[in-house]
Amino acid sequence: MLTNYLKLAWRVLARRKFFTFISLFGISFTLGILMFALSFLQSELGTNTPLSNKDDFVYVEQLRLQRTYFDTITLVDTLFKAGVEVYDTTFELKESGTGASQTEMSNKIVDTYLADMRSAADMTMFNASNYHDVYVNGVKVSLNILMSDARYWTVFDHRLIEGRVFDEAEVNSAAQVIVISTKTAQNYFGREKNVVDEEMFIDNKTYKVIGLYPNKGKILPFVSPDAVSPYTTMDLSLIDNFYFGPFEVMYVAEPGAIDNLKSEINYAATLIPVDHPDNENDFKEVVFRPTTYDEMYAAGVLDVSNAEAEESLSTMKMILLGLLIFFTVLPTLNLININVSRILDRSSEIGVRKAFGAHQGDIISQFIVENIVVTILGGLIGLGIAWALISIINQGGYLGESVLMFNTKFFIYSFIITLVFGILSGFLPAYRMSKLQIVNALKENKL
Amino acid sequence: MIKLKNITKVYRTKTIETTALNSIDLHVPKGEFLSIMGPSGCGKSTLLNIIGLLDEPSGGTILVDGHEVKKYASRSTANFRNEKLGFIFQSFHLIPDLNVIDNVELPLLYRKVSSKQRKEMAAAALESVGLANRKSHFPNQLSGGQKQRVAIARAIVGNPEIILADEPTGNLDSVMGDEVMSILTSLNKDNGTTIVMVTHDERMAKKTDRLIRLYDGSQVA
Repeated sequence: MLTNYLKLAWRVLARRKFFTFISLFGISFTLGILMFALSFLQSELGTNTPLSNKDDFVYVEQLRLQRTYFDTITLVDTLFKAGVEVYDTTFELKESGTGASQTEMSNKIVDTYLADMRSAADMTMFNASNYHDVYVNGVKVSLNILMSDARYWTVFDHRLIEGRVFDEAEVNSAAQVIVISTKTAQNYFGREKNVVDEEMFIDNKTYKVIGLYPNKGKILPFVSPDAVSPYTTMDLSLIDNFYFGPFEVMYVAEPGAIDNLKSEINYAATLIPVDHPDNENDFKEVVFRPTTYDEMYAAGVLDVSNAEAEESLSTMKMILLGLLIFFTVLPTLNLININVSRILDRSSEIGVRKAFGAHQGDIISQFIVENIVVTILGGLIGLGIAWALISIINQGGYLGESVLMFNTKFFIYSFIITLVFGILSGFLPAYRMSKLQIVNALKENKL
Repeated sequence: MIKLKNITKVYRTKTIETTALNSIDLHVPKGEFLSIMGPSGCGKSTLLNIIGLLDEPSGGTILVDGHEVKKYASRSTANFRNEKLGFIFQSFHLIPDLNVIDNVELPLLYRKVSSKQRKEMAAAALESVGLANRKSHFPNQLSGGQKQRVAIARAIVGNPEIILADEPTGNLDSVMGDEVMSILTSLNKDNGTTIVMVTHDERMAKKTDRLIRLYDGSQVA
């Protein structure tokens, strides 16, 4: 029976070219875009190296010193009491605003207050926005060099192509070593391998290249910087403020302990004294805004401040959900519509089949098999479209440095989505038509 | 073989009630070739559809081969149609997406018959209507007479006891009509198949064992 349905499906598709084209176009285009979008999200938000720990990340970008201002509001009313005019005055204390100063942290703050969290499995401190201009053959190359500690390499698990990463001893001794990305290797040395032991001249210092990692190109600069070097090679004496400096912190929370870790970080803020002379504006409170990776990513995409990161994740989820609905539900409805007319067009065939003994289930199965065939075909074409889009975008570098990936996981997701499409868009009209009275179906007489 | 008792069929809309069949009592014994005649709109096709369990009567009972039909949408009625009944329609109702042999084997798809056996039975049915050399053609490649012969092959492939033919010669010229009629007559004479045929054509009706006439939904002769 199934062979027969498959044979029939193939013939129907071959003979009804217009419907086949419309259906295949709808399915393949929708799936192609969907798979492309999934690939983009996976590339940006997936737990791939160097972000294998990202689901447990808690990020503290800045320290905020703040004070809330209150105003007294005086309200004077005129009343008449026993024919005499009197004044009735009320006072209200209201929050009128906050004054704040915020920026990245000093290493003293990190070492003293943020280094020891019970719920953190790992942590690293880095100076993220550290751009240096270097000159190669007289051409200026701007490099984003991350200054960090040795634990950067366990928090962000870059897969090295060659060489090694720096260790704690090298950080302590301020060794002038550097681990670079393939992009930097290409820009600086003109090749993407065999760069270990080469030297780079940055800010009048000579750094020895000790390792090479693949460039992953993320929206967040510290995930895949151009190069990473021990932070101790910076002149730390220049950081003379107790509160503020160039450092950000990334924690890896113990499994399931993200909320605890956030609470511990918030508590740590309360331990930081506000009576230090560096608090020139007499702020009353120290605040951290710990965020997860996804919250921070959403804030980055929506270009809002870190303070709004938690809200921005839900906003981004809403936007993605909206896009998902737009790209899947609408075409599904459209496909159902196409299928209704396609199946309606064949009502007399349904009548004949039922007259010769087909049950309701036989009719439904027949049309569902047809739809599964068309959606699988559409799915395969869609995969081709997605693959082509990804290749074109990767080769052309249209998304900056983001490298989109295409892997079997998407194929399986997409395949499942494709089947759901096929079954859903075929079942409803087939069910409706299978209930049609034979005599009415035959009257359509379109055979 | 077929017994209709007091069959009525009424079509109702919000404003109008139309009686298509009015108290029809009919007995078609096994092996009979019966024709039904009457002017357009008198209820001939409605009666045939009711006999073929394709339509539900508004009142009365139907016994086909001793089986009283109650639920029309049930699996058992579908199986009964599949095994006992064969249909021939005026406009052939062949499925355009299927070639001739696949059209003919359609009733066998809903039985437990192997693919090989289906092909053999369909080939034999086509042979019996003289179309063995048209197996791979599609309906749009056939003449009207050939289409109707394919439809007959489809109706007989499952060896039904009863064939219901709704104006089988209505869309054919007289030569092709005669050809189709001779196939039906030999099915009836040689195989003992019971046939109920609706026709407009007095000449065809005269070739059958018995003729009944309908007028405005009632049997008048």
